[in-house]
Amino acid sequence: MTEKVEYWVKMPFGPIHPGLEEPEKFILTLDGERIVDVDVKLGYNLRGIQWIALRRNYIQIMYLAERMCGICSFSHNHTYTRAVEEAGGIEVPERAEYIRVIIGELERIHSHLLNLGVLAHDIGYDTLLHLTWLAREKVMDTLEAVSGNRVNYSMVTIGGVRRDIDEKKRRIILDMIKYYREVFPQIEEAFLHDPTIEARFRDTAVISKRVALEQGAVGPTGRGSGIRDDARWSERLGVYPDLGIKPVMPQDVTGERPRGDVFDRMAVRIGELWESLELIERALDGMPDGKIKAFPKDNVLYAKLRLMVDGEGIGRYEAPRGELVHYVRGKKGSDKPLRWKPREPTFPNLFAVAKGVIGDQVADFVVAVASIDPCLSCTDRVAVVQDGKRKILTEKDLLKASIKKTREINPDIKGDPTPVGSSCSR
Amino acid sequence: MAMDVMGNIVYPTVGLLGLYAFVSLASLVWEGIDRKLVARMQRRIGPPILQPLYDFFKLASKETIIPSTANYMFKAAPVLALATAIALLAYTPMGFAPILASKGDVIVFIYLLTLISFFKIVGAISSGNPYAKIGAAREATVMVSREPAMMLAIFAIMWRIGKLGVPKPFSMGVFYVHNIWEIGTPMSFVGAVILLYVFTVWLASEIEVGFFNIPDAEEEIAEGLLVEYSGRYLALLKLTNAMKAFISASLVVAIFFPWGISGYFNLTGLSANVADLLFHTLKVFALLFVVQSVFRAVTGRLKITQAVDFLWKNVFLASLVGSLLIAMEVIM
Repeated sequence: MTEKVEYWVKMPFGPIHPGLEEPEKFILTLDGERIVDVDVKLGYNLRGIQWIALRRNYIQIMYLAERMCGICSFSHNHTYTRAVEEAGGIEVPERAEYIRVIIGELERIHSHLLNLGVLAHDIGYDTLLHLTWLAREKVMDTLEAVSGNRVNYSMVTIGGVRRDIDEKKRRIILDMIKYYREVFPQIEEAFLHDPTIEARFRDTAVISKRVALEQGAVGPTGRGSGIRDDARWSERLGVYPDLGIKPVMPQDVTGERPRGDVFDRMAVRIGELWESLELIERALDGMPDGKIKAFPKDNVLYAKLRLMVDGEGIGRYEAPRGELVHYVRGKKGSDKPLRWKPREPTFPNLFAVAKGVIGDQVADFVVAVASIDPCLSCTDRVAVVQDGKRKILTEKDLLKASIKKTREINPDIKGDPTPVGSSCSR
Repeated sequence: MAMDVMGNIVYPTVGLLGLYAFVSLASLVWEGIDRKLVARMQRRIGPPILQPLYDFFKLASKETIIPSTANYMFKAAPVLALATAIALLAYTPMGFAPILASKGDVIVFIYLLTLISFFKIVGAISSGNPYAKIGAAREATVMVSREPAMMLAIFAIMWRIGKLGVPKPFSMGVFYVHNIWEIGTPMSFVGAVILLYVFTVWLASEIEVGFFNIPDAEEEIAEGLLVEYSGRYLALLKLTNAMKAFISASLVVAIFFPWGISGYFNLTGLSANVADLLFHTLKVFALLFVVQSVFRAVTGRLKITQAVDFLWKNVFLASLVGSLLIAMEVIM
């Protein structure tokens, strides 16, 4: 009996699991507690956004892009806007670019604080979760005061921004910066020097630089593995170079060489919190006077887009999770884009971390997934091809299919499955 | 003869039932206090103090779902676990010597305490859920790592106290005759402090909080052992867990802080027992405040390998050193 017998077990992780924020499925192959293989299954959060967009014009798509995801709502809207501006050759006033920087960095602070809290929650450190999210309330309130909304800010429009930042809003933002200058050292202390956090996050889910390059990891995931890349810096995006942007690397925060583990990704996020504060401060100081929109009214914009957009445009922006790309192709005379395709940072990062977590324990898996800050509602985007035929399921078909499945599982179920009220007419 | 029946059967049974009613209430109330205190530490409002009681009654009235892959042990395990916890009450020091105190009952105590975890493991394995199986494997791993340190320490303490002269050696009642601080030498004092640390960590791992919330890790394996339980059986398991926390804490309190208050008020008989029981409950709450509430507010969960390393390399070694220090002058 010298032969070693291995008992490998396949276990589904998701689509619904308390450790995952959004429906996503992984099939883990386990040898005891050790992860042997990870199979990523996407598509549980498909809402057919691109299909909906085929029926909308340029201005309506802005609202749709904003609602793809609750956390990077500004990023999607902003990147889409940049793509259309490039396709149409529209000049954006400089003041608008500064306001975009301010809102973008506010969003980055709120997204990073959210992710830090989720990371702490995933190792059962709920005190840190609640205190981090308490600190996050301040930036949410600031965003509400500046834009009118806590989540979907609707600040950006094609050719500028919708709302100006006046003296009163400026004071609110400066107030917030003062608050965070006191709070961030505490957060940094808690996350970088806590023994539990160090024990759980160090050398967990290591993504080597080679794997990160192969899988195309972007954002904090790529930078945590030592790839010096930041779309704001490498693309010289908007007014970011004037504000002195530079990519935050783990060695700037921890003082050690990047190892590509969960701790490094977290350290990059903490460094970016500080950088965002500085960028907002500099943007508020250097903001020039002037117009905030290229076209004063939406109906003018609508008419102009019909004439101006001809050909393709690509918008790039460093969203909190990594580089976001939107592609827009339009034709002169049409108010709709022929093609609109967003590409989210979670997609490459998810596969990078699925490679990185192999060899670790089950306990590390949920931490590893949270460390790339996955945003599945942005990522899931598929065309179903069955038996060589493309098929688009409408709301009615999906409802019928789910009723059929429920009857199959539980034939005795009572109740009327017809939906109450009228559903959305498309 | 009639007196014997009264003394040997009726009084212990009534006492056990009374203890059961009191402990299940007190332990559930403690859980509510704990949740409230931790919520305040996390700047939350927290649930009402009686929330665990409401949860218990609500769960008891809910539909119970049995997975089709489960076998009969799935249903039997929660009942057996609770029955074990109730039996354990008869051997637990609660401010006075246990109801069924006799020579060597410490072994029964340890055996029954471990049996609760064992029934939980059996129930989880019988559910057929892969998450529950991972949870069961983790529970077993932690169990075999945490108990040796505790057993070594408790036998050393009992043996040493037995040397001071007690009527029933190796009984849970000895702590109320002589306590660990009465041994008297400076070495034994240091040893007792080290053993207090050992028992504190053991208690935390026994009730699975903070570092040791590994078998029930909600975010990793979806509550692990409890994943398939619902309704009545979940209510029974929750009650068992709460009672187990109270009982384990009672052991630590009895070893290190056994002093009662009935002597100060010149109480005798039943009233003395009631006064001591209430005072003991207060001490248990104070101990659990440190070991459960504060500990789980300031730490996260470890990986299973790290926890096992910690329990063997740190806690077991400390237990060895503490036991040697306590026993030193008798051995030499």
